[in-house]
Amino acid sequence: MSTRGRITGLALVTSGVATILVAHWMMAFWVPNEATQGVVQRIFYVHVPAAWTMFIAVGIVALASAVYLWLKDERADAAAVAAGEGALIFGAIMLISGPLWGRLIWDTYWEWEPRLTLSLLLWFTYLGYFMVRGSVADPGRAKRFAAVVAVVGSLNIPLIHVSVEMFRSLHPGPVVMNPEGPTLPADMLVTLLTMWAGFVMLFLGLFTFRYAVERLRRRPLPAAAGETGEALI
Amino acid sequence: MNELRRAWLITLKDLRLEFRTGGRLVAMIAFVVLAGFLFAFALDRTAVAGRDVAAALLWLVMLFASTAGAGRIFDAEEEEGAFRHLLLTPVSRPAVFLGKTAANLVVIWLVTALAFISLTAFLDVRDQGSLAAHAAVLLPGTIGLAATGTFFGRMSRHSSLGDTLLPVLTFPLLVPVIYFGATSTARVFLERPWTEISGSVRLLWAFAVGSVFIGAALFRHLTDE
Repeated sequence: MSTRGRITGLALVTSGVATILVAHWMMAFWVPNEATQGVVQRIFYVHVPAAWTMFIAVGIVALASAVYLWLKDERADAAAVAAGEGALIFGAIMLISGPLWGRLIWDTYWEWEPRLTLSLLLWFTYLGYFMVRGSVADPGRAKRFAAVVAVVGSLNIPLIHVSVEMFRSLHPGPVVMNPEGPTLPADMLVTLLTMWAGFVMLFLGLFTFRYAVERLRRRPLPAAAGETGEALI
Repeated sequence: MNELRRAWLITLKDLRLEFRTGGRLVAMIAFVVLAGFLFAFALDRTAVAGRDVAAALLWLVMLFASTAGAGRIFDAEEEEGAFRHLLLTPVSRPAVFLGKTAANLVVIWLVTALAFISLTAFLDVRDQGSLAAHAAVLLPGTIGLAATGTFFGRMSRHSSLGDTLLPVLTFPLLVPVIYFGATSTARVFLERPWTEISGSVRLLWAFAVGSVFIGAALFRHLTDE
């Protein structure tokens, strides 16, 4: 890994963790309670940024996988692996925090709701992505198969979305990304965006390190010491 | 000889092999009949009417049977090394995929027909609705199941996890098929007007056409030896 890459990765992880800590302080002490849900609504500041970050990661995996299938460029596959792990981690945060929030405000852990269902299915698709990578012996074939899973999974998203949208929904509507602009009060919006910025920086930092590790792992090994006559130490 | 003709020859070859050996077909048929039998035992029909759950059970039985069968689509050819020879012939990868999907579809149709008969008999569903309407719902649904199963069946053939991998890969993708298929079939059982069903059938066709085209386009990535 180059020094520049190491510094970039370290800076992103450090600033990401620091921003997340600040956002947690804002969440605990600065932002007011939401009028109807009370203190429970604070899970929102973890749940929503985790979901957004997962979708960024999913987008990178789908794009990098398509590039890999097209150009067979190892860098694209390494980027897909690095982003895929991020998608699983942030997806798990979202899928754990969502039901905890739902249990307290809807009185149920799970609701058949479009975004929740779509996220769960996407998470399983990416679990399958890593299962394919780990279970196919030929590395070239494993990369191709995994890239295909990522591309097919992302192409199916619109149809899954339509199918689950027909269920009754309890999930709140968009309060930030809606056509009329954010409807969230300013202090809540700032806390939310601070947490998201922290999550994205942490994800990009981990992505940078994981990408570098994946590239190093694929670098051809130097000739064995015995073959070149060099001493082992 | 055009590609469709080549695909058709692969379908005939696969079906001939399927009916001569019979292993996969017999296993799938036994599965759907036994599954229907067990569902009938498991349901307390003083609490739930058979007609209320028949559609959901039918689609789940079809899903499980087609997934179980998908892992075996390429087995006979792989064991004899024939699949490699097939790839060496001047047949395009999309034609191989289409041929194999069509053969898988015929097997799924047989299994679906048997699942329908056994479930309606075991669950005592007397008013089954229009058979033509059932066929109109089942046709696009089974095409989607066949294309997805054939595509990922090829992938699982090279995985050390084998058939364990298939449900993880296919079930999340098949959610639209199960949802639209089961709700449409339930409405046909209840003899609801076609206008209440046609929207879901259009989406089933969208999935069917999409899965065949995407499968044909990406199949070469699963067969580049």
